[in-house]
Amino acid sequence: MTAAIQARGLGKRYRTYSKDRARTFQEAVLHGLRGLRAGETFWALRDVSFELEPGRMMGVIGPNGAGKSTLLRLAGGVGEPDQGSLEVRGRIGALIDLGAGFHPDLTGRENVYINGIISGLTRQEVARQFEAIVSFAELESFIDRPLRTYSTGMQMRLAFAIAVHIQPDILLIDEVLAVGDLAFQRKCLDRIAQFKQEGCAILLVTHDISLVEQLCDEALWLRRGRVAASGPAVVVAQAYVTEMRAETQRRTPSDRRVATSPDGTELRLNENRLGSQEMQIERVSLQSAGGNPRAQIDSGQGLRIEIAYTAPQPVPSPIFGVSLTRADGLVCFDTSTASAGLALPALHGQGVIALDFERLDLAGGEYYVDVGVYQKDWAYAYDYHWRVYPLTVRPSPGEKGVLRPPHRWELVEPVPRS
Amino acid sequence: MNLPTFTSAAWSPVYLRDLLRELVARDMKLRYRRSVLGLAWTLLNPLAQLLVLNFVFSRILPLNIPNYPSFLFVGLLAWSWFQSSLINGTGAIVDNRDLIKRPGFPEAILPLVTVSANFIHFLLALPVLFLFLILARIPLSGAILALPLVFAVQFILTLSLVYLVATMHVTFRDTQYLLGVLLLLGFYLSPVFYDSSSIPAQYQTLYHLNPMAVLIDSYRQILLDGQFPEWGGILILGLVAIGLLLAGYGIFRRSSRTFAEEL
Repeated sequence: MTAAIQARGLGKRYRTYSKDRARTFQEAVLHGLRGLRAGETFWALRDVSFELEPGRMMGVIGPNGAGKSTLLRLAGGVGEPDQGSLEVRGRIGALIDLGAGFHPDLTGRENVYINGIISGLTRQEVARQFEAIVSFAELESFIDRPLRTYSTGMQMRLAFAIAVHIQPDILLIDEVLAVGDLAFQRKCLDRIAQFKQEGCAILLVTHDISLVEQLCDEALWLRRGRVAASGPAVVVAQAYVTEMRAETQRRTPSDRRVATSPDGTELRLNENRLGSQEMQIERVSLQSAGGNPRAQIDSGQGLRIEIAYTAPQPVPSPIFGVSLTRADGLVCFDTSTASAGLALPALHGQGVIALDFERLDLAGGEYYVDVGVYQKDWAYAYDYHWRVYPLTVRPSPGEKGVLRPPHRWELVEPVPRS
Repeated sequence: MNLPTFTSAAWSPVYLRDLLRELVARDMKLRYRRSVLGLAWTLLNPLAQLLVLNFVFSRILPLNIPNYPSFLFVGLLAWSWFQSSLINGTGAIVDNRDLIKRPGFPEAILPLVTVSANFIHFLLALPVLFLFLILARIPLSGAILALPLVFAVQFILTLSLVYLVATMHVTFRDTQYLLGVLLLLGFYLSPVFYDSSSIPAQYQTLYHLNPMAVLIDSYRQILLDGQFPEWGGILILGLVAIGLLLAGYGIFRRSSRTFAEEL
């Protein structure tokens, strides 16, 4: 089978313009030709080779600045490589910069046409898909209103709906899956799976390793523009996670500072606490629905986890993560501000972030709440508390398992024999 | 070095037509939506200039040109198509960042969109010009058939210059101001409010190196004198414009590989 995307020894070089590089004629004249000289160059991508066949999905992972977006751009024909060769065969669809060409003063309908055509459809093709796009976006009753009356969520839904209706041979995706509510996200993931089945080759750039493990067949891990590893998604993703742990360990200060958690557990660096400590988790409190600190709840009760942090220096867009782990190590639930689509601003000084569970339907038993705060692209942890905060869910007699969803037994009248 | 090959990059003519039409339509809709005056806005600028210049050159400094309002309006409309295309076209790349960064978007269409949209504004103002001609009892002749040729030459000339200024503006963000100065000088060096025949004989050849002088003269010959334009001048200009377009487009294409980085 011929590859849909084939890259051989791909390289892309950018110039880092010196600060006094002329941006205007005026400066160019004042500084003479000296100002026009380009600054240093650096390779955003170097020696990158891979093949992606139709019907396969490849996750591209790596820290920020590793060249992921550059690779995606080159694959989309934006800019040209300075080295190597890149072949892309087929119509390209892109879930990147959704809503390009959208204008708030035009109606939803007009924007669908403009954006659809900008995305590569002919007018006739947009007309044919129009109903499907609008119903996918669930915006039937708003479509003739100006876009400025839409909420951000509605605009993203519309943009996404157009993007998934262009029947591409190659789909490029850049971290846009956190669109709308969970039901809509589910719908988008289903649509992507369907594309794959229809033989579309998909390149996904993401920081979300679990998404790569779930969806992708292959993964390409970039580090400073070069391929660090490539191969089956699960293998590469695991290697990446391992490296992240190693990076966290490497950055953890080597002294044996000891702090004490409110319930008396000692926090020892390199034992139950890891991370560079550029940002610290000061206190974690578990509160039941009433707001009282307690580490013991009944199954199905609500729980609020408050994390107090200190950032002596400003920390750009950190990610907070919480996982609920059973005493035997089974991860029952794992979530983060990033997976919930919550982009935090730069944090500086002290503050509190809270995670609310309306109800926690875990079966009775002993659990730990593991809490961490991570560098914005998951490269390493600033601070991670492992098995420090116990949580007891009171068992209900005679029940076993992991979950205890709300339930009720009922005897339904047996149907009389005929 | 191997350049990438894109099987999909051969945009179909139908697609390019649709894209052009939709982008021009967006431009027009945005200009006319939410303004009660609508079309009148497009006419307001040349009409206001007409009023002032007509007063200056009929009353204060009389030029004694017959049918001066019609004479002036021809020059103003042609000039304002040229001028507003260049001014809007400067930002054709810089103002459409999101489109440039879209995979597979044919950025070369953006200058074409600007010139086309301004051409439509020009066409929409033409009925008013014809009204002027009728009021002044100037008869239209068969020479009007040559009008599309002059349109085409002006279109190609303007487009080639828009490719250049749009490219330049990506690197030098004060292109707009520089262009403003040049256009102001160009306005005085083009026969917009005066007759090119009043240029002293020794400067005539030099003067007609200004393409807008050739174009405005041609429009006046067709519309006011009912004569065909001087074929020599307009055909040479047409060839020059095509050459300029190839050069401008070439420079645009060569620079376009770094657009996404510069924005």
